[in-house]
Amino acid sequence: MFVRFLITRVLTAFAVVLGVVCLVFFLLHLVPGDPVEVMLGESAHPADKEALQRALGLDQPLHVQFGQYLAGLCQFDLGTSLYSKRPIRELLLERLPATVELGVAALLFALLLAVPLGILAAVKKETAWDFGAMGIALFGVSIPNFWMGPMLILVGALWLGWFPVSGRGGVSSLVLPALTLGTALASILPRMIRSTLLEVLNEDFMRTARGKGLPDRTVIVRHGLRNALLPVITLVGLQLGALLSGAVITETVFSWPGIGSLVVEAIHRRDYPVVQAAVLCISTSYVVLNLFTDLAYAWVDPRVRFGARP
Amino acid sequence: MIDLKRLCALALLILLGSACTDPASDAFRFGLASAPTNLDPRFATDATSARINRLLYDRLVDFNDAFEPVPSLADWEQRSPTHYRFHLKMNDHPFHDGTVLTAYDVKATYDFILNADNASPHRAPLAVIDRITVQNETSLDFFLHRPEPLFPGYLVIGIVPARLIATHYPLYEHPIGSGPFSFLARPDETRLHLLRIRDQRRFEFMTVPDPTVRTLKLMAGEIDMLQNDLPPELIGYLENDETLKVQRTPGTNFSYLGFSFEDAVTRQALVRRAIAHAIDRREIIWYVLDGAARPAQSLLPPEHWAGARDLNPITYDPEKARALLHQAGYSLDRPPRIVYKTSSDPFRIRLATILQHQLQQVGIVVDLRSYDWGTFYGDIKAGRFQMYSLAWVGIQTPDIFDYVFHSESVPPRGANRGRFRSTRADAFIDRARAAPDLETKQRWYVQLQHHLAGTLPYVPLWYEDHIFIARREVEGFTMARDGNYDGLTQVRRSSPGAL
Repeated sequence: MFVRFLITRVLTAFAVVLGVVCLVFFLLHLVPGDPVEVMLGESAHPADKEALQRALGLDQPLHVQFGQYLAGLCQFDLGTSLYSKRPIRELLLERLPATVELGVAALLFALLLAVPLGILAAVKKETAWDFGAMGIALFGVSIPNFWMGPMLILVGALWLGWFPVSGRGGVSSLVLPALTLGTALASILPRMIRSTLLEVLNEDFMRTARGKGLPDRTVIVRHGLRNALLPVITLVGLQLGALLSGAVITETVFSWPGIGSLVVEAIHRRDYPVVQAAVLCISTSYVVLNLFTDLAYAWVDPRVRFGARP
Repeated sequence: MIDLKRLCALALLILLGSACTDPASDAFRFGLASAPTNLDPRFATDATSARINRLLYDRLVDFNDAFEPVPSLADWEQRSPTHYRFHLKMNDHPFHDGTVLTAYDVKATYDFILNADNASPHRAPLAVIDRITVQNETSLDFFLHRPEPLFPGYLVIGIVPARLIATHYPLYEHPIGSGPFSFLARPDETRLHLLRIRDQRRFEFMTVPDPTVRTLKLMAGEIDMLQNDLPPELIGYLENDETLKVQRTPGTNFSYLGFSFEDAVTRQALVRRAIAHAIDRREIIWYVLDGAARPAQSLLPPEHWAGARDLNPITYDPEKARALLHQAGYSLDRPPRIVYKTSSDPFRIRLATILQHQLQQVGIVVDLRSYDWGTFYGDIKAGRFQMYSLAWVGIQTPDIFDYVFHSESVPPRGANRGRFRSTRADAFIDRARAAPDLETKQRWYVQLQHHLAGTLPYVPLWYEDHIFIARREVEGFTMARDGNYDGLTQVRRSSPGAL
């Protein structure tokens, strides 16, 4: 059964990626701006423009170009940047580690903050601790990254001088962008942890654990939190995808050389093949993470893969 | 079920493994708004790449402050109207790999650009070259299809080694030129390390797109200097910082309002002149641009060798503007209505809003519309506008007039976006184009600029200044009118005692 579930999910993910490829390709061809003019400049001779269009295959009908693009993709050939003339695969591989690094750091920060806050809010339900923890969560989710980033720079880098203002150079440079990016997630998770933990805390097995005389900490962490984390894992999996794909603003503010800033630069320069490849990379990572989340969920909870109702 | 400790440890390992990069050195650090996109001068077109490539590569010809072509790597003699001989200053500038730059390298560079298969964006102006013949290692001849006195000014592309061209060496990744700086490394797109050859001093160019963050980096001492691309309010703020110093020099980037000559309202000379008199340039320059600009009268600045120095300045005269509109048949009940297009850049929108307000003061109803750059630029090229604002950047030779104002230069053949058609302007341009020498060309171009000041296909606004801001200990940077980074060849740090 699990193999069937796995095959279905992989095929669905593949269909989604194919859909993204189609959408990105055709939408980018609708966007105003001619790549040939980008490469040759406005003053180029019409004959030169036509020659380059032929050389790039842009004189072909759109469906032929799409076929060629798909054929290239099958060989992991994402094309060449119009501006830098570098293979796009190289550009992406150069940028991907920075984005993964930032995403993982933001997730770590979010988990380190969210789990204690969520537990605190659930255990001290409807007390000042609960309201405080939920207040922090509300505050975090309300602050946009483009404001949070410069504020953190002002305090952490300029006033305190603890961290560099921007750029990627050593672990200290990771702190402020990770805080910025992780804050929103760190604000969503405590609510989820609180509500699921509150449900679990009233279960029979929790009363049994308490009845056995186990200390509160053991009951909550060993029995309560473990069972409460299942929906949280799903959320974290989805959010990691969002962290990898949604770091555009944070990467721009902190001059972080990741995929997000590559997309912004490429859009500004009208470097369409790079935009196309970067969007594909982001969406694929999102789909793959979703797939892994589904599989992990199915793996830990047999009710999911067998289609049973919980 | 899930071992959180293991998960966290794994994530930490990834972070520590990947985040360990080289620490900051004692290099000079220069902040850039955008990364150089191509370090191969045969392909680079953006301003940052062009400025960095000037440091990495030498070129045959350069421009002086009057934008006259002057010898750089070579001097030249004009042997006939279509024949130029260039003589290289040998051994002054070996390539960074130790080989000597010869006439063969020059020929290989320009032959590469002229080959349409290579799709160099610099081919169009160089298409006047018929053939290039090497005489010996130090001299070569350029033969042209037609006489072109401006020709030496076209030879400003950095020279690359012929043997690397032949082997398709990726110069965009590992540039090898003969300039005062050599390439060291490019750890990622946001950082570029160069070495100043004369004293082995390292320079790091750091790309920080956000102007606020770039400013904060400068204040925190993470970068030593930057040039341009800051909003005026930030420049004013930095001027009050005692750890920094701000230098200004007049620039030549020309901001203007353009009009459609196919539109019933903006094709009227009286309306365009009314608009010109309704705009208070000095007020905008003083209050919005923080004084960092000078009013413009023409596309070429007056110090340009082909610039017109005796143009009458356009005065701010709202009464005259109202009278002109009245003369054109408009009144308060029947005002001229103009759609004004601009880009979505916040500062440009702010400027456009002020212009909209000033035009409304004289009775012109302006509908301001801002667009994403691609849409905006596409509309401008297609002639889908009544009025727009843009700037010409990096203009050095006066043949820009041909490209912008000749009736045959309507896109895609040129940049006559407003579809301006004037037989007099065409005649001046044609005569300037056919002139056998620079003096005659200058005469026609000056007359043309007088004609354009009368017909106003563009309403000139201003030339924005170049601003250089550095830590106080940074000395010796000389600013250039075109905003190049050549001043870095002389920049130094003052000793602590000198402060």
